[in-house]
Amino acid sequence: MTAAIETEKLTKYYGRSRGVMDVDLTVEAGQIFGFLGPNGAGKSTTIRLLLDLIRPTSVRARVLGLDVHRDRLAIDRRVSYVPGELSLYSELTGRQLLTYLGNLQGHVDADYRETLIQRLELDTSKRIKSLSRGNKQKVGLVAAFMIRPDLLILDEPTAGLDPFIQLEFEHLCEEARTEGRTVFISSHQLPEVEHLCDRVGIIREGRLLAVELIASLKERALRRLEIDFGSDIPLEAFANLPGVRDLTVDGEILRCTVMGSLDALVKTAAQFEVRNVRSVETSLEEIFLAYYGAGDTGGAAQGVGGAGHAAA
Amino acid sequence: MLLRSVFGKTIRDLRWPTFWVGLGMGAMTGYFALLYPTYSKLFDLNSMLAKMGPAAKLLGAGGDASSLVGFLHLELFSMILPALMVAFAAGMASGFTAGEESRGTIDVLLSYPVSRRRVVLEKAVAVVIGCVVAAVTVWVLALAGAAVSSSPLPPDRLAEALVMLVLLGLAFGAIALAISAASGNRGAAIGVAVGLMVVMYLIDALAAIVDGLNTIRPLSLFHYYMGNDPLRNGLNLGDVAVLAAVTGVFLVAALVAFDRRDLAA
Repeated sequence: MTAAIETEKLTKYYGRSRGVMDVDLTVEAGQIFGFLGPNGAGKSTTIRLLLDLIRPTSVRARVLGLDVHRDRLAIDRRVSYVPGELSLYSELTGRQLLTYLGNLQGHVDADYRETLIQRLELDTSKRIKSLSRGNKQKVGLVAAFMIRPDLLILDEPTAGLDPFIQLEFEHLCEEARTEGRTVFISSHQLPEVEHLCDRVGIIREGRLLAVELIASLKERALRRLEIDFGSDIPLEAFANLPGVRDLTVDGEILRCTVMGSLDALVKTAAQFEVRNVRSVETSLEEIFLAYYGAGDTGGAAQGVGGAGHAAA
Repeated sequence: MLLRSVFGKTIRDLRWPTFWVGLGMGAMTGYFALLYPTYSKLFDLNSMLAKMGPAAKLLGAGGDASSLVGFLHLELFSMILPALMVAFAAGMASGFTAGEESRGTIDVLLSYPVSRRRVVLEKAVAVVIGCVVAAVTVWVLALAGAAVSSSPLPPDRLAEALVMLVLLGLAFGAIALAISAASGNRGAAIGVAVGLMVVMYLIDALAAIVDGLNTIRPLSLFHYYMGNDPLRNGLNLGDVAVLAAVTGVFLVAALVAFDRRDLAA
């Protein structure tokens, strides 16, 4: 099967900032792919390269098996895009804009468009300029989904959406995946996409650091546990359990972090009187930060340090 | 429905500016045609021109105001109408790609199956239509004014003068379009086009007085616009060809430049 997106050594020196360098990215068709990185990491630059809005310094990329420059119109017929800084024709109403964009596309399933408008609770009678950021975003999302594209490229799509609409948006993405379409979502906020995506790519300072299955990232997820026992417990009973680290025992309270399965720890703890178990699943944010750990993570690293300190 | 294509959308965007500019230029021309008999009775226009001497030529050369045709040529077609038409065409043209770029709508537009070249071309055709509609409005209102005041104004010559006016506007419009497409900078596009118009106007007007300027006179597009005095003598195909060629060259430049460039985020 042709990959939805395939880049090889994609490089763009872009203005004064660095742009992106040597990005080898493959997104399989039929997946929801999260493209993660802090602001300014090169997410939008990569996306705009894929859309031929800017031209790479070296090596071309392929979208749906087609050359992003040479086969531009063929790609445009099958791909929709919602930019991060979404600007729409502000003098038009939502309805007029959807009509215009639908006409540019050529074919739109009107029933599906109306369903989308309902599901996202969009008021299409208002002029774009009078809409809030979230409502503008909804217009963009309806426009993107209504053409039933083979690939959706969504740059920070959930910005400004209220939680209910965000949930509806996630359902739309999942439905698109069920229909075999590919969804490519960029975000700088991991928790927003971690339960939605099959795979994530992590980009920083213009370089793609890693592409991982969400499942395997979660497998490596750390869980921080705090167990209150009815009486003092011996440290030795818990030492050397598989996956258990950072073990401390402070009288009746045990603290540790566990990687992977909790089985061994729980079975051992069951020998004693357990009053309470508190568990904090570390978010992908922390794994995400672990990738960045080597560099100057500034405030982000402090966050992890702070959490670690609290658990110690 | 105008929201069918980039062309239609552009026409939609331009409908009110076109209406107002056409009405403004038309009302002005119609007003002069209507009041010409009164003016010519009140003032001996030709002797006033004679008193002004060479300065009159700065305001538009061929000083014969003893007919409505001469009067319109002097009062409107030599300076005010071309200035308005050029500003109108250059303003429209510069707003297209640069306007969509600075507003950020170009990203969405180009993610639809519309090529960059088609965007430029469809918008360019819309400018042509805007200029023609404005010119037709002038034609209708001028003839109406002339009919009411029973002043002779040949419709065919007026149309030919307006063809030259449109061609001049389009030439500067194409220059603005090329700058806008190449730079994404709307202000630069309007500024250069209008600045160029002023310089070219002065070259042509001063060349009528200062002999030394005659050698560079062909560099001015006004030379081709006014050279044949189309309101009196009709079209000169050579002049038409020069203005059309300039328009064509800059349109191609706009297409090529816009097609190759990294677009602003």
